[in-house]
Amino acid sequence: MKGFAAFVRKEAVEIVRTWRIWVLPGILLVFAVTGPLTAKYTPEIIASVGGSQMAAIAKVIPVPTYVDAYAQWIKNLSQIALFAIIIIYGGLVSAESKSGTAVLVLTKPVSRAAFVVAKALVHSTFLALTVLVGTLITWAGTLLLFGTAPAGPLFAAAGAWLVFGVLFVALMTLLSVLVSSQAGAAGIGLGVYALVSISAIWEPVAKYSPAALAGQPMAIAAGQGVDVTWPIVTSLLLSAALVTLAVWAFRRKEL
Amino acid sequence: MSAALQIRHLTKRYGSKLALDHVDLRVEEGSIFGFLGPNGAGKTTTLRILTGLAKASHGSVRVLGHDVAKAGNDVRAEIGFLPDVPGFYEWMDAEEFLRFAGGLFGIEKHTLDERVRVLLELAGLTDVTTRIAGYSRGMKQRLGVTQALINAPRLLMLDEPTSALDPMGRKDVLDMITSLKGRTTVFFSTHILSDVERVCDTVAILDQGRVVVQAPIDELKARYGASKVVVEVEEGADALAAEIGAQPWASAVERPENGTIAVTVSDTLAAKRAIPAMVAARRLALTRMEAGEMGLEEVFVELVGGGQR
Repeated sequence: MKGFAAFVRKEAVEIVRTWRIWVLPGILLVFAVTGPLTAKYTPEIIASVGGSQMAAIAKVIPVPTYVDAYAQWIKNLSQIALFAIIIIYGGLVSAESKSGTAVLVLTKPVSRAAFVVAKALVHSTFLALTVLVGTLITWAGTLLLFGTAPAGPLFAAAGAWLVFGVLFVALMTLLSVLVSSQAGAAGIGLGVYALVSISAIWEPVAKYSPAALAGQPMAIAAGQGVDVTWPIVTSLLLSAALVTLAVWAFRRKEL
Repeated sequence: MSAALQIRHLTKRYGSKLALDHVDLRVEEGSIFGFLGPNGAGKTTTLRILTGLAKASHGSVRVLGHDVAKAGNDVRAEIGFLPDVPGFYEWMDAEEFLRFAGGLFGIEKHTLDERVRVLLELAGLTDVTTRIAGYSRGMKQRLGVTQALINAPRLLMLDEPTSALDPMGRKDVLDMITSLKGRTTVFFSTHILSDVERVCDTVAILDQGRVVVQAPIDELKARYGASKVVVEVEEGADALAAEIGAQPWASAVERPENGTIAVTVSDTLAAKRAIPAMVAARRLALTRMEAGEMGLEEVFVELVGGGQR
């Protein structure tokens, strides 16, 4: 257990001391700051860049509200943040196997299960903190620009998406054990994302499976009161199953 | 004496390739054991199995009395390991890495502080504050040896600890290993014969996945090293070599250089008595005569038939 705690600490410090602190937070914070601004000033931007024709288009665009700012944030989470997770975490375990650091750690009193679980836990927590900060910035920016910003729908939507994000951290943990190439694991991760998004078209899948969390957070942010209890429960169970599978696969792997 | 390592019929297959073929080894506790073999002989594969990084296809491996296939953190807590190419978190500095390694063992702070200080000194890295990313190969290797010592292991396993080091770096690492004599068991693989000869008390020679011999070094030299006598004369070496070759105590005669005769003898004393008499009878000018045992290098060449590949 002491080995686990020391390894968790290493993972956390590594985030702060390497490129990891810049990439995911960098991407999310940029979108958190620019999202409300883009929502607020889109009609003006369109009118100013396009002459009379674009000005006409700008006139028919409905007056933006806080919902548009929320939609920007959730859309960015659902697409760009998810792609970033898939790419960044494609080498979560394999990079340590390749560089030889895993060998030095795993010949000390740290089990392979502890190694994999520590990584999944620390990076899920890192994602949660990043999303929390990004959501707070989006909320504050929206309040500032629109005067109205009910926190409930925004945080509920971001929370629902976070469960989906954690599911992909778990998936990439497994893929980074199974596939030694980061690019290969990321490619498979993107393929899984495409399949999950498409499968959400089918009603039973959309109602009960994690696939619902690919699109439903947008509806939650718009205050449509969507019930995503089942997709959250199945996502969390599936995340646990993926990490368990990653542990099983890593135990069988020769280093 | 109890065994720190006990390997029986260890076999490892990679597809159709047989990397280890029924390897048997016993390493006594407290010994400095040299695991010698040419590149590709299976040394690293053996060490990977011993440390639980790879699984045996067949056979049993006991480390400090525990079956390594079932052993968990308890066994790992008592071993130290340096792989052939150690990988470090390059964003750390040496002290951070040693503290991290100590943390994995759950070493109490006061003890860890003291060990980190001593080990940094031992590695010559006390005043180095740069990140590991900027270290030379020698610095990384020295840090690698010290991180393997952070838990004061009962068994220290080192995979090629001196390869790719310059002479000073090699000397430092070998001195570190020698200083552990009597305090812990050291099992280290190498293809550098002089390193084994310098620090080990026992040696096993591995060739093409098989242990061809395991014995204390002195016994090995005595067993395989039929004594050698080297004679050098100014002229008339051919005739002298022929006469020596005809003696009952001479099992082989070689002519490595002009004027030099290397004789493998079964009775060193008889050779020492007879050869000067032959030189004198032929009125030859004797430049030198040496009678010594075969070195480990010659034993190695004889056993693996053709030396390093």
